[in-house]
Amino acid sequence: MSPGAPVVRLRGAGRTFGATAALQDTDLTVHAGERVALLGASGAGKSTLLSLLNGSLRATSGTVEVLGQEMTGLASGRLRALQRRIGTVQQGLDLIEQVRVVHNVNAGRLGHWSTPRALSTFLWPRESSEAQRALDRVGLDWALFERTERLSGGERQRVAIARLLVQRPELVLADEPVSSLDPTRAAEILRLLHEPEEARALVVSLHQPELARRHCTRAVGLRAGRVVFDVAADQIDESLLTELYELT
Amino acid sequence: MSTALDRPAAPGSPRPTARPRVTARVVLARRLLAVAIVVLPVLWALHRSFSGGTAVVNTGGLRLLADLGASVLDPALAPDFLARVADAALVTVVFAALGTAGALVIGAAGGLVLSDIAWSRRPAPWLRGVRLVLRGALVAIRSIHEVIWALLFVSVLGLDPLVAVLAIALPFGAQTAKVFSETLDGVPHGSLLALRHAGARPGPALAYGLLPGATPLLLSYSFYRFECAIRSAVLLGVVGIGGLGQELVVSLQSRNWDEVWTLIGAVLVLSALVDAWSSRIRADVSVASCSDWSAGDAARATRPSPWARWSLALLPLVLVASWIASGVSLAGLTSARTRDLTVSLLEDMLPPELPPGGVPELSGAVLDTVAMAVLAMVLAVGITLLVAPWATRPWSTRGGTGPAGGGVAAGAVRRVLWIGSRLLLLVLRSVPPPVWAVVALLALFPGVLPGAVALGLYTGGILGRLVAEAWESLDRRSLEALLHAGVRRPVAAAAALTPASTHHLVTFTLYRFEICVRDTAVVGVVGAAGLGRLLTENLVAFRFPVVATVLVASFGVSLASEVLGRRLRAALRGTQAAPRAG
Repeated sequence: MSPGAPVVRLRGAGRTFGATAALQDTDLTVHAGERVALLGASGAGKSTLLSLLNGSLRATSGTVEVLGQEMTGLASGRLRALQRRIGTVQQGLDLIEQVRVVHNVNAGRLGHWSTPRALSTFLWPRESSEAQRALDRVGLDWALFERTERLSGGERQRVAIARLLVQRPELVLADEPVSSLDPTRAAEILRLLHEPEEARALVVSLHQPELARRHCTRAVGLRAGRVVFDVAADQIDESLLTELYELT
Repeated sequence: MSTALDRPAAPGSPRPTARPRVTARVVLARRLLAVAIVVLPVLWALHRSFSGGTAVVNTGGLRLLADLGASVLDPALAPDFLARVADAALVTVVFAALGTAGALVIGAAGGLVLSDIAWSRRPAPWLRGVRLVLRGALVAIRSIHEVIWALLFVSVLGLDPLVAVLAIALPFGAQTAKVFSETLDGVPHGSLLALRHAGARPGPALAYGLLPGATPLLLSYSFYRFECAIRSAVLLGVVGIGGLGQELVVSLQSRNWDEVWTLIGAVLVLSALVDAWSSRIRADVSVASCSDWSAGDAARATRPSPWARWSLALLPLVLVASWIASGVSLAGLTSARTRDLTVSLLEDMLPPELPPGGVPELSGAVLDTVAMAVLAMVLAVGITLLVAPWATRPWSTRGGTGPAGGGVAAGAVRRVLWIGSRLLLLVLRSVPPPVWAVVALLALFPGVLPGAVALGLYTGGILGRLVAEAWESLDRRSLEALLHAGVRRPVAAAAALTPASTHHLVTFTLYRFEICVRDTAVVGVVGAAGLGRLLTENLVAFRFPVVATVLVASFGVSLASEVLGRRLRAALRGTQAAPRAG
């Protein structure tokens, strides 16, 4: 992939569920170095867009190009290889509950390991020093062998980010990663999200425009499955937001 | 290699300092301990049951087993025999219905007294004393198996149908009282407290404030009890008070294999019908679980379907009809003869005495009982691991966004496997353990092993179903997350689902182990080893002081296994789990 190529390029991308169009005719290009906030009411299509970007949903129309590869027609092996370079963070709810934290962090490397190696690591953790360093980074240095289910919501969120750090993704996608956190913790999490060094871009859906202004370079507003604005983050103003969240 | 990981930690990241740090060494030690806790008892139990130096397999009996297997396609279908089977099935249902009714009366009264919420004030000291005694009595009552109760009642009442009803009603009632009190204390109390603060009288306050929320759960549990009562009623036939169990044991012992298969078929049909009916009603009546209530979903809680409503309306009729049909008379309970016999039985039992073989015989029986339960659980877990993965609903394993996997043909094969494995589990748990024991005793010499095989087959049927249903409802979000990160499906499934699956398996295994220890009494009755056999031998020989000792010993073993099981499960859960946000 040439250095100048966009990290994400959507052309006329759409996704329908039965008769419902969750996302329609969307054009979006994200370049290296950008941090893009997705804004919009619930159901506006933010999650659908993120799912198209990480390959968990396929577009029903248009093209989705990520890290230089067209996703729609990709065979499953190739898709997996591409997905290893994309890091996705949910609200910390997708962790494996009953295991030690180290396993949840190491799960970020699981896609890179051979099957026997991946399976053996669940009997006894490998590369725990790397996991330890990731936990140090997110402020959970004490938690390596803690049981995941015993952690609080904010701590679990950090474990999810530590997993992201060891995955070393080139594109980071986050779906409302801070909606259940207080402002200080939210800021901390968003700061950590563009921490991975290889990461060339971040796409994050947010409910608070203020956080978008502060932590992102660009803001994309979605409404009823369509992009209604695409501006630099510091240009978000009341009129844009009124239009975005107005009840129909 | 320099990555983001090498940079120093961000200043100001919150760091709870008071938290004790868990190290790799601690985790390793705990894992080794866990392995030892599983492996050592199993090795000991194997050693105990195989080291006698005598033959284990009765080669002469293998032919009988083959005969039994051969006649599976040729069940007895003579009209007069079928009529006998139908009669026996009716008797079984009557025992179960009346036993459940008795258990519910005991459970409702006991549950109210034992629940904390039913008392508007802190009870007076004497009342708290009474509650403590009652709680202890209920623990003792439910720790003794139905079959033992039946044997004791037989020695007072003779072969009266009342024996079966009482033998079900007492231990089930004790269990129901515990569950009812926990349910009443567990449902949200806001409306009850509001009524009380508004000055409502205790009775109406309970009726309006607590019952609407608790009723679906109580009803649901009652129907579950009825399901269990059917199995118990079959089982109780073993002591000779009628029903399908008695017919089964008689046919087995007189080696009428064709009749055995007809009877097993009848037991299966009966259990399957009752299971289907009861689980349908339970699903209808109690849409909401406790967690739904706390989430504010109480509105969905009570809307019984016509199906449930009809069933509830018919229930009293069925009860009355079955009472009349069974000829169960409560006169036996109050007659002077019963009173005299009870008194003399109690006098005979006191003071307790050691069995003829002294302490070694008693402790040997205790150890046999434990070994039998351990080996039974090994077999049950083996069955579960082999069968349960196929017994999970095919369409639930495919959820999510991954490739659908397999074509139409593979889907059909999977469906056939699903039905087959569910059926196998149903057979295993529907045939009562004493019947399995009689079958096992054809091929194995008496001892720990046939008992363990019988209990293991039966427990495997139950454990397999519990585990399969838990696996069906696993949270799959962690799996999705790994798939999205480009992990291959088998690896992702192993990594994300194994921990939770294992957790369910271990929890249910510990829970069933406690029950299995208590169930060893059942296979003892037909001649396997352990405390059950010691008890039966001495009952038959009228050595009542010894019976008393064995009862106390059984109680001790049950209690010990319950305490141990609870400890282990608490250790697994992690006792001081941090409160969860989000």
